[in-house]
Amino acid sequence: MSTSPSDLQVSAAYFDGKTAASRAVKLSAEGGELLLNGGTAELRWPLSEVHISERLGNTPRLLAFSGGGHCEVNDHAGLERLLAQVGGRRNWLDRMQHSLSWALVAVILIVVAFAGAYRYLLPWGAEVLAMRVPDVVLQKMGSSTLETLDQYVLKPSRLDAARQRELSDAFARLKPLPDARLQYRIVFRSSPAMGANAFALPDGNIVMLDGLVDLTKDDNEIIAVLAHELGHVERRHAMRMVLQSSVVGLVLAWYVGDVSGLLATAPAIIMQAKYSRDMEREADQYAERTMQVNGLSPCLLASILGKLEISHLARKAEQRPTADAGKDVHAMDYLSSHPATRERIGLLCPAESSQ
Amino acid sequence: MQEQFGPQTRNFEFTGKGWEYFRIWIVNLLLTIVTLGIYSAWAKVRRLQYFYRNTRLADASFDYHGTPKAILKGRIIAVGLMLLYNITLKFNPILGLVVGLMLALIMPWLLMRSLRFKLYNSSYRGLRFGFAGQTRGAYDAFMKYPMLAGLTAYLLAPLAHQRIKQYQFDNSRFGSTAFKFGATVKGFYLLYLSALAVMVGTLLLVIALATMSGTGAGLKALATGFVAAAPFVMLIMVASVLIVSSLFSAYMQNMVWGNTAVGTHRISSRVPARRLLWVSVSNFIGVVLTLGLFMPFATIRMLRLKLESMAVTSSGDLSDFVSGQQQQASATGEETAEMFDVDISF
Repeated sequence: MSTSPSDLQVSAAYFDGKTAASRAVKLSAEGGELLLNGGTAELRWPLSEVHISERLGNTPRLLAFSGGGHCEVNDHAGLERLLAQVGGRRNWLDRMQHSLSWALVAVILIVVAFAGAYRYLLPWGAEVLAMRVPDVVLQKMGSSTLETLDQYVLKPSRLDAARQRELSDAFARLKPLPDARLQYRIVFRSSPAMGANAFALPDGNIVMLDGLVDLTKDDNEIIAVLAHELGHVERRHAMRMVLQSSVVGLVLAWYVGDVSGLLATAPAIIMQAKYSRDMEREADQYAERTMQVNGLSPCLLASILGKLEISHLARKAEQRPTADAGKDVHAMDYLSSHPATRERIGLLCPAESSQ
Repeated sequence: MQEQFGPQTRNFEFTGKGWEYFRIWIVNLLLTIVTLGIYSAWAKVRRLQYFYRNTRLADASFDYHGTPKAILKGRIIAVGLMLLYNITLKFNPILGLVVGLMLALIMPWLLMRSLRFKLYNSSYRGLRFGFAGQTRGAYDAFMKYPMLAGLTAYLLAPLAHQRIKQYQFDNSRFGSTAFKFGATVKGFYLLYLSALAVMVGTLLLVIALATMSGTGAGLKALATGFVAAAPFVMLIMVASVLIVSSLFSAYMQNMVWGNTAVGTHRISSRVPARRLLWVSVSNFIGVVLTLGLFMPFATIRMLRLKLESMAVTSSGDLSDFVSGQQQQASATGEETAEMFDVDISF
């Protein structure tokens, strides 16, 4: 330990804050004060009146003095020793920003944070929010969606009134699960573009397309699809999907946006597809429980799912006769918004899938 | 510093390093996530200070003085305004349009304020930069000319761009010395027309390619061709956008800075366009391959290229600048400085 503080001198450039002229000076420490020696003149400041910039990589350190003027120091080691003499300390942020191991820890923590938010936090948050959406909003969302669909995609149903009533009555006899909150109603439509399908709107209206009714002779199978759609509505899947996909889109746009908007959309689609598959599984489980309550076999849903898959494959092959249909389906599995049908059938009805 | 006679040219130096900045960037990112975005204001100050202090000219560095609190305030206001707009637009489209219109009306004023904040908080050799632009000029540059450009099917877009740059540069000060902007409208038109010509050429090439690979005749050939040649078309379009945008930004920087003087000191800029293209393309690939982790390295490479292409030519040394009125004003009344201490960046 040196006893004479003036031993240590650090070169610096001094600017008075009034002109751009630079003056070479020497910094030293004495009794808790900073001493600035410019050859002809000497200035001193108590450390409390000097603002010392934090370390930021190898950038020059700047010592701003109260009342104007500052020093620029490039001798980092020298300044550290000088500051240690007058009692300066490095803080935790300073250490974090300059350590490679902290950088690696940060990379891991960021990946974990992103993955955790994507896997758990976002679905949970969206569910909490979606469950609190007032019924009025759901009604409005449902009716405006149906209006738009009626205008552009859907056509009136070809089923006669008696058949429609028959199906509606069968659906009305289906006991919902005790925690069900909405009133449900079937809306009959047809759509050549969408084929065999049914989908639920947030207000409890379930759109059933003629294609689905034509697909099976067993009305209980249709009831099974409706139970699945009930799951989508009760679990607020439409609302949750809107919330989750907009957050994913926003975060990706913020992260990759600087590079290319195009790059942000591809991962967004893949990431949203996973949410969609999770929701299909949840709706399947909901349907399974509903059917058990009503004394129906979950195999009914498994059976109609198989038929739906065949019908959609046939339509696809029809639309693109040149494409190799088998290969197409395989690639689609990867991105598909529905989990592989075989997997769903296996979960619903182990007996049927083993045949 | 010794006196030098005759004109002397000093190059800008940039001493930032990729690995060094990576550590600052990743810690900033982590803390921003952990604090749900609040830390981003502190992150911005650290980032800018790292860039500014690594920028050196004539053995002295630049510095950034913006305070995180002012930036946070600005960000909260900006987020609030955007939320207000989006929410009203969703539930009452007419009210939403009114809010949007009001936002558009205050935008030039906000831009002027944020230019003032940015320049006032930048310094070199202990002297602050400043911005003397007035509200009227801001509305001309950021509203009148862009609207004229829109009304004339963008025929006047280069003129509008020149007016914006002119407003920014002609009103900038270093200490008490004013910036002088000399880039002409003609220069902007030439640059825009060249870029347009290249883009039109690429489009014609793509159409020709699609027609060749399509089946059938006329529009049907074009449509089927686009589907068949989709990967090629995408590749060509992405490549040409990358090429044109990097060449455009190189020539734009050279023209804008190369025609700027600060007092008697002339600034020059000679960004090599081909090198800029290489840096852009390799940055793009690096960022994609590393899922974004290359971003800080990419930023440093781009800044180094752009800054080290610039120089200042002056007779005598750089000591003849003196501080401006702004500085005396800030010393007398802290409150006035506090008042425009709001940074709203878009």
